[in-house]
Amino acid sequence: MSNKKQLFRVFSDVLKVDVKSLDESSSPDTIPNWDSLAVINLVGELEQIFKVQFDILEIADFQNIGIIKSILEEKGVFFNDV
Amino acid sequence: MVVAPVGWPEKVAELVAEAGESGRIMAIRTALQAIGAMPLEQQGRPFKLGVCRTFTIEAQLDALTLALATLPCQPEILVGELENIEQLLLDDKAHMLKAEPNALLVLWRLEELHPRLVFEHDGMSSVEREKSASDVVNRIEQLCAAYEKTGTAPLFLSTLPERFTFDRATNDVYAFHGPRRAVQRINQALVDIAAQSRHIYIYDFSGWALENGSLAFDLKMDLYARQPIANSALMSFGVKLADTFKPLLLPAAKVLAIDLDNVLWGGVLGEDGIDEIKIGHDFPGNIYRRIQLHALALKRRGVLLALLSKNNLGDVQQAFAKLPDMPLKLEDFTAIRVNWKEKSENIKEIAEELNLGLDSFVFVDDQEFEREEVRFRAPQVSVLSSTEDPLQTLNALMCCRSFDVYRISDADIRRNDDYASQAQRRKLELKSDDPKEFLRTLQLKARIDFVKDETIPRTIQMLMKTNQFNLTTKRHLKSEVRQMLANPANVLLLLSLSDRFGDQGIVGLAIALGNPATKESKIDSFLLSCRAIGRGAEQALWSVLLSHLSRNGYTVLKSEYLRTDKNQQVADLFQSLGMERLTGGTKDCTEFTLNLPYYPEAPSWIDIRNVV
Repeated sequence: MSNKKQLFRVFSDVLKVDVKSLDESSSPDTIPNWDSLAVINLVGELEQIFKVQFDILEIADFQNIGIIKSILEEKGVFFNDV
Repeated sequence: MVVAPVGWPEKVAELVAEAGESGRIMAIRTALQAIGAMPLEQQGRPFKLGVCRTFTIEAQLDALTLALATLPCQPEILVGELENIEQLLLDDKAHMLKAEPNALLVLWRLEELHPRLVFEHDGMSSVEREKSASDVVNRIEQLCAAYEKTGTAPLFLSTLPERFTFDRATNDVYAFHGPRRAVQRINQALVDIAAQSRHIYIYDFSGWALENGSLAFDLKMDLYARQPIANSALMSFGVKLADTFKPLLLPAAKVLAIDLDNVLWGGVLGEDGIDEIKIGHDFPGNIYRRIQLHALALKRRGVLLALLSKNNLGDVQQAFAKLPDMPLKLEDFTAIRVNWKEKSENIKEIAEELNLGLDSFVFVDDQEFEREEVRFRAPQVSVLSSTEDPLQTLNALMCCRSFDVYRISDADIRRNDDYASQAQRRKLELKSDDPKEFLRTLQLKARIDFVKDETIPRTIQMLMKTNQFNLTTKRHLKSEVRQMLANPANVLLLLSLSDRFGDQGIVGLAIALGNPATKESKIDSFLLSCRAIGRGAEQALWSVLLSHLSRNGYTVLKSEYLRTDKNQQVADLFQSLGMERLTGGTKDCTEFTLNLPYYPEAPSWIDIRNVV
């Protein structure tokens, strides 16, 4: 599975929504299940799958999927957009 | 490690193992779904756990649920609002107690119980620090005293984890006198409270933290969401929880059936000879000595030891007599089978002799062949994952949770003596032809009394453990027994038995649930501990119960026999006690009735002291 697919899979699993309904602009405002508990789970899952550690202040910036993707890119995770 | 119990489908076991290893949310949810799809009887009994806590665990509940489910049980975890511990535990109108949980758990840390003592202790005088610790102890003592009066479900209080992060410097003496000392004092108080309480127990959160060291906690998620338990250590936290609740849900094993050569000593006696046997204080004899000491410790906690060895009995007797530094003596074994028979055969024989089910046995052997033979021929026996490596055997014994009980009762400690005198009784039995004549020689004395607060633990223990002489096999929890006791129409009787060989303590229980409106009473439970079977003690208990119901104006007594794999010896008991069998019923449930008043004859060979 590509990193991009994996990324969206994590959001769909944790937030319990169809992967097709997600895009990079998906955020707590557009997805009702994206609450504080979901953030805790997202951090845990993403850190484990992509083998990275988020800095604590980065978690406060988890505003939509696109931003989280770019944080991961800064940590050396590559997403080929093909 | 989370491991599926024996008997679950292979596919489910794989999913459980995968979830345990990865700790991934989806793997855990998939495993939980697969478990939920199994037949209910494979999932175990429902277990509702109420959790009060000073920190966040909501995002980690799936993992904890999975760990508990492998006991097996059907767990449901209710989480109370943060910090609200007193209200949740004491207010029966609050949602926690209203949900009638089977057990309650309190998870707390000094970080929330007294943050100043953790984060600002350097600014406190020693008097202030002592006072702060006392305040926390007082709060806990008050909570427990109040719960002791009103609570019904068993309450598990966690010890507080002691943290190196309390220290400001290496070997910081101020931290030793501040938060560390406070945690030690509070934990000591918790253990003391539990030791004296009727239904307060300990969850060793501190011990878990010690085992997991710096991996136990995650400061980032602690600060971000007050979720201190690290995801990487979550499964071990769940397994420790499951181990903690195990004795509540499952009966403990009673017999350690252990091999001799290369387990209790190094070497093969028949081949190497007594001079080559390794046992003692030096390596490698010290490994085997530790195994013996562990077996001896289990014996002192009431576990029976059985020796299973393919050897010549004479050689073994000589070795036990001659070898120095042997913690175990032959007299420590309740059963000895030194012969060339199959080990499963020997275990079955011992089970019959001691009147125990095969699931009461834990088997230890260094030979894969022997372990496999027992697994195959006596699958109910729990076979320890020992190997030819004695260190692995020692570790497996130390990690074995099958014998866990919350409190060692006097009956547990006495059990070894009981079984020894039972063997004597059996010898006497062989000499005498008329069974009643034999029983008369025993000089049996029975005492029958109501269940009281102090005898509730033994009542629960018998409900949980008794399989064979048990008409209904209802595994009531403590909360359920308390509810029964609260209704004066219910009769809960205990039978104690002694004879000229010794006191057997409380060995029988009868529960009859009454309906004053219809003047009808129904037997809920009627059981005898296996060491009391064959003395006519059931007749003593029966005559007192029926006389009591008759005196109190009841006109009908109903009962049922619920068949299990183990209780077929009592299928006809109610009929032999004078009840009428109702037509209908099923293979697994037979119903009986009897008109009262009815005063059955008490057995003439038992001297009954009736306190009822």
